[in-house]
Amino acid sequence: MYGKKGSELVKELASSEPGQLSAFNNDLFAQVIDECTGHLHHLGSLIRKIEELKKIEEIKKLNNQELEESEKQLLKAHNSGALIHHLSLLRNKRCLMAYVYNRAETIRSLGWAVERVLPEEIEEKLSGSEKEYFKNHAASLQSYMSELDLDLAVDMVPPKDPYIKVRVLEDIGNVLLSDQSANLARHAILFLRRTDAEQYISQAIFTLMLW
Amino acid sequence: MANYYDIDDVLAEEEILPVVFQQAADCFGLLDSSDDTNEVEAGAKAELPFWLARDLHVRGVVAVDVPPYFRKVSRTRKEIEADAAHVDLRGRCQYFYELGLKIAPLVGDKTIGPFLLVAFQTRYKEVLVRAHTAASAVAPKHLTLLTNEEAKLYEAGQLSTAAFKKWRMGGPRLQRAPVLGRKRKPIE
Amino acid sequence: METGAQDGSSGYSTMDDYESLISTTDAELLKRAWQNEKAAPQILRFEAALIQRSREQIKLMEETVGEFTRNGIDPLTVSLYQMDLDRTVFLLRSYLRTRLQKIEKYVFHIQKTAELWNRLSRQEKRFAERCIEDMEKHLDQSVLSKLPSSYKSHLKQSSSSEEDDMVPEPRLDTYVICRSKRFLGAFQLDDRQFPVNIEADDLYALPYKSIKPLVETGQIDLV
Repeated sequence: MYGKKGSELVKELASSEPGQLSAFNNDLFAQVIDECTGHLHHLGSLIRKIEELKKIEEIKKLNNQELEESEKQLLKAHNSGALIHHLSLLRNKRCLMAYVYNRAETIRSLGWAVERVLPEEIEEKLSGSEKEYFKNHAASLQSYMSELDLDLAVDMVPPKDPYIKVRVLEDIGNVLLSDQSANLARHAILFLRRTDAEQYISQAIFTLMLW
Repeated sequence: MANYYDIDDVLAEEEILPVVFQQAADCFGLLDSSDDTNEVEAGAKAELPFWLARDLHVRGVVAVDVPPYFRKVSRTRKEIEADAAHVDLRGRCQYFYELGLKIAPLVGDKTIGPFLLVAFQTRYKEVLVRAHTAASAVAPKHLTLLTNEEAKLYEAGQLSTAAFKKWRMGGPRLQRAPVLGRKRKPIE
Repeated sequence: METGAQDGSSGYSTMDDYESLISTTDAELLKRAWQNEKAAPQILRFEAALIQRSREQIKLMEETVGEFTRNGIDPLTVSLYQMDLDRTVFLLRSYLRTRLQKIEKYVFHIQKTAELWNRLSRQEKRFAERCIEDMEKHLDQSVLSKLPSSYKSHLKQSSSSEEDDMVPEPRLDTYVICRSKRFLGAFQLDDRQFPVNIEADDLYALPYKSIKPLVETGQIDLV
C-alpha cells in the first residue's frame, strides 16, 4: 500500500516518549524519499499519456469527431491514476515533514536545557542537518539574549529560596559563579545561589539536596 | 491545514476505509495484488487509508463506505448504548473520534456526530475516575479499551494527580532536563 | 515596540475604582502580563513600557541588595530583599521565554499575519527572522530539496494548493480560564444562544476566541 513507510516513520515519532529523541531513521527516511521519486515517475508517464489523448481529442474535434468510448475510459483511468500518485506524494511529503518538524521542536527544547554543546549520546542521534539546525538555533537564541543582556536559560521554575544545597556529581574544577568562585569536585556539597546552580542541575552535574 | 504537522492527525488519516471504485484507475501496485495488471477496475472493492479515500471520494473516483463501527445499525452502537465504558473502541479504531469527525461530513451522515458525543461523554467520566484513582506504575487492563484520544486524557489525568501530590508533599523542583534521558548512571 | 509604546495599563484608563488603581503596581502588572501570556494560545502585544520599567526596578533592587550586603545589614533582611528580587527576575525571564517559545512554534504564522507580527518587540522580530531562516534551511536540506519541483514549498503542499496549507497555527477555540476585575455585563459568545453574564472576580472557562478582544484590551485576565 502506498504511504505505508511514511506512516511508519511518523509512528516511530509517536511511540517515543515526549521530549525524547530516538536516532534519526536514515534508512526509512531514504526509502520514503525513494517512494516519492517513484510516484513522480509514474505521475510523469501518466501525464504524458493524458496529453497524448488530449491531442487526439483536439484533432478529432477539428473533424467534428469525439474520442471513442474506450479512449474516454482510458483518459479517465489515467486521470484517476495521476490523482492517486499526486495524493501519495502529498502524503509522503507530510510524513517526512512531520518527522523532521517534530524532531526539530524537541531539538529546540534542548537549546533551553544545555546551552551550546550537545551531550555526545544525543548528538549521535541527530542527522547532519539537525546538528546544524541546533547550532544555528542556539546561536539565534544567544544573540537575542545578548541583545537584551539577560540570560533566559536560567530560572526555569519559580524561585523559593535564593540559596540551595547541592551535591556535585562530576569533577569540573574551579568555576566562577556570580558571587564566589567554587571548586566543583565530585561529592562536594555546596551551598549556592539558585540561579548559579540551575544550569548544572539540568545538565546533571549537580543534584539537588533536600534538607 | 493548521495541524499539518500534528502527529495524531497524520496517523488518524492512516485509518483504513472500505471503498468501491466508481471508475477504473491506472495505478500500478496500489492494491498489492499479485497479478501484474496496472489497472484497478470500476466496481472493484478495496480498502484505502483515509488520506487517499477522501480526495478520491470527493472527485468521484471511489465511493467511501462507512466502516462497520460507525454504521447506523451496528453492534458498536448497541454496545455503546448498553455499557459505553466497557466497549473496546481501541480494537475498532485507534482514532475513533478523530476519524468519526472526519468521515461524517464526507459521507453526510448526521447521526455520527451525536453518537460520538454520547460515547465520549459516558466514557470520559470513567476515564477520569480511573486516572485519578489508579496506582500509577501498573498499566491497567482498562487502558487497552481506550482510543488514542481517551488514553491521552487518561495520561493527563494521571499527570495532574501526580503533580498535585508532589505539590502537596513538596518534592524536588529542580531536576535534570528530561531530554537528557536517563542514561547517566547514578554515582555510588 | 511601536504598538507596545502605550502604557501597559491602558485598558484600565477608564477605571474609576480607587482600590484597583492602588493595587496595580508594576509588580502586579508584570505578574498579570506574565499570566496572560502564559495562558493565551496566541502571542499578545509586547508590554514594552512595563518591561522597560521592570528592568530598571530590578537594577535598583540589585544595587540595594549589594549595598546592604556590603554594609553588613542583618542577613535575614537581605535575604528577604533577595527573594523579592528573585521573584521579579523570574517573572521577567519567564514572560520573555514564554513569548520566545510561541514565536518558535508559530513563526510562519506570525510572519504572515501583520497583526501578530506587529505585537513583537524589535528584538523578538529579529529573533523570529532568524528562526524562519534556520527552520527553512533545515526543512529544505532534510526534505524539500529531495522532492519534485512542484512539491518543494514549506508553505504549500504542492503548487496546486491555492493557499498556504502547511502553516501551523495556534488553536483559538481552546478553552481558557479567565477573571474580570469588574462587572462586564452580558457578554455574547459567538456560538451560544444565551449571553454570559461576566461578574467581577468570578472565574469562567470560555473559548479564547470569544473573549479575545477583552483580553487584548485588558478588560479580562487569564489565569
